[in-house]
Amino acid sequence: MSGDEPEFIQPPNTLKNKVKYGPDGVDLDMLEKAEQIIANLQGNYLEWVQDDLAKLQGFYEKAMATPEGERAKVFKDLFGVAHDVKGQGGSFGYHLMTAIGNQLCRFLEGTQKTGAAELDVVKVHLDAMRLVIGQRMEGDGGKMGENLLRGLQAVVSKVAPK
Amino acid sequence: MSGFDGRDVKVLVIEDNQHARLLIRTVLQTLGVTTIREAKDGEDGLEVLKEFQADLVIADWKMEPMDGLVFVERIRRGADSPNPYLPIIMVTGYSEARLVIEARDAGVNEFLAKPISAKALVGRIVSVLDKPRAFVRCEAYFGPDRRRRQLPFSGGERRKPILGEG
Repeated sequence: MSGDEPEFIQPPNTLKNKVKYGPDGVDLDMLEKAEQIIANLQGNYLEWVQDDLAKLQGFYEKAMATPEGERAKVFKDLFGVAHDVKGQGGSFGYHLMTAIGNQLCRFLEGTQKTGAAELDVVKVHLDAMRLVIGQRMEGDGGKMGENLLRGLQAVVSKVAPK
Repeated sequence: MSGFDGRDVKVLVIEDNQHARLLIRTVLQTLGVTTIREAKDGEDGLEVLKEFQADLVIADWKMEPMDGLVFVERIRRGADSPNPYLPIIMVTGYSEARLVIEARDAGVNEFLAKPISAKALVGRIVSVLDKPRAFVRCEAYFGPDRRRRQLPFSGGERRKPILGEG
């Protein structure tokens, strides 16, 4: 028998001792209220996201002005902002922003190149995000959103490593 | 009773994005939680915990300089940890299976993928409350039991010894 027998410990559940709640957990009215309060923040989101779009534009321009061999850091910065866009859109009813942000993140983490073609992919995603916000394309954006995502996927598939 | 009264609970939210912090704070306030402290990264979070006895931490993963994963490791295994059993919900945009496993192995209690919804966050909090996981201490790991359910294994041994072992 090895000396690495696991020891199981039941820690004190101090959190549970401090919370009062019914057998059904949180009631639906309370959840509805929370969802409604978040939905009310949608107007604020439309302002905040402009900062992310401006940051993406700034990093895109910086990458354009940087020699190709030295763009890795800027691509990392682009990934960071795209990751924020991905993480927030859906919380405020803009699931299409999450989908576009996610696709840009997957592309940026998968590509080894930082050339003109890769920058074009960044640009079309940025333009698509601007369109979604400008046209207030909430949810998945319906048919228009579907077409937009399909178009972006086509651009990515031409450039992304096979 | 129905409903949820979290007025006595102290929560630390560690998140570098101020909008995400606001979102989490809003959900917590709906649950009646009033004692909420905020930190911008793991290092900042450790500082806050020196004088704030949180009952629950909700931490983002991708932060600089100290990310959420390093924070969890410091809480679980650090010599200066204020409470190695502190419940931690990790909130992140990373959803790939290998990263979820990495977070679990670091000692995260619950994992919540962004974008956050009130329903999902509340669900994770209730999960921490209702299904407290035992902690495991062994040579290679200390943290919540990584198995979701404690089921006896009735099958035969399928693992094969690696060449040179066994």
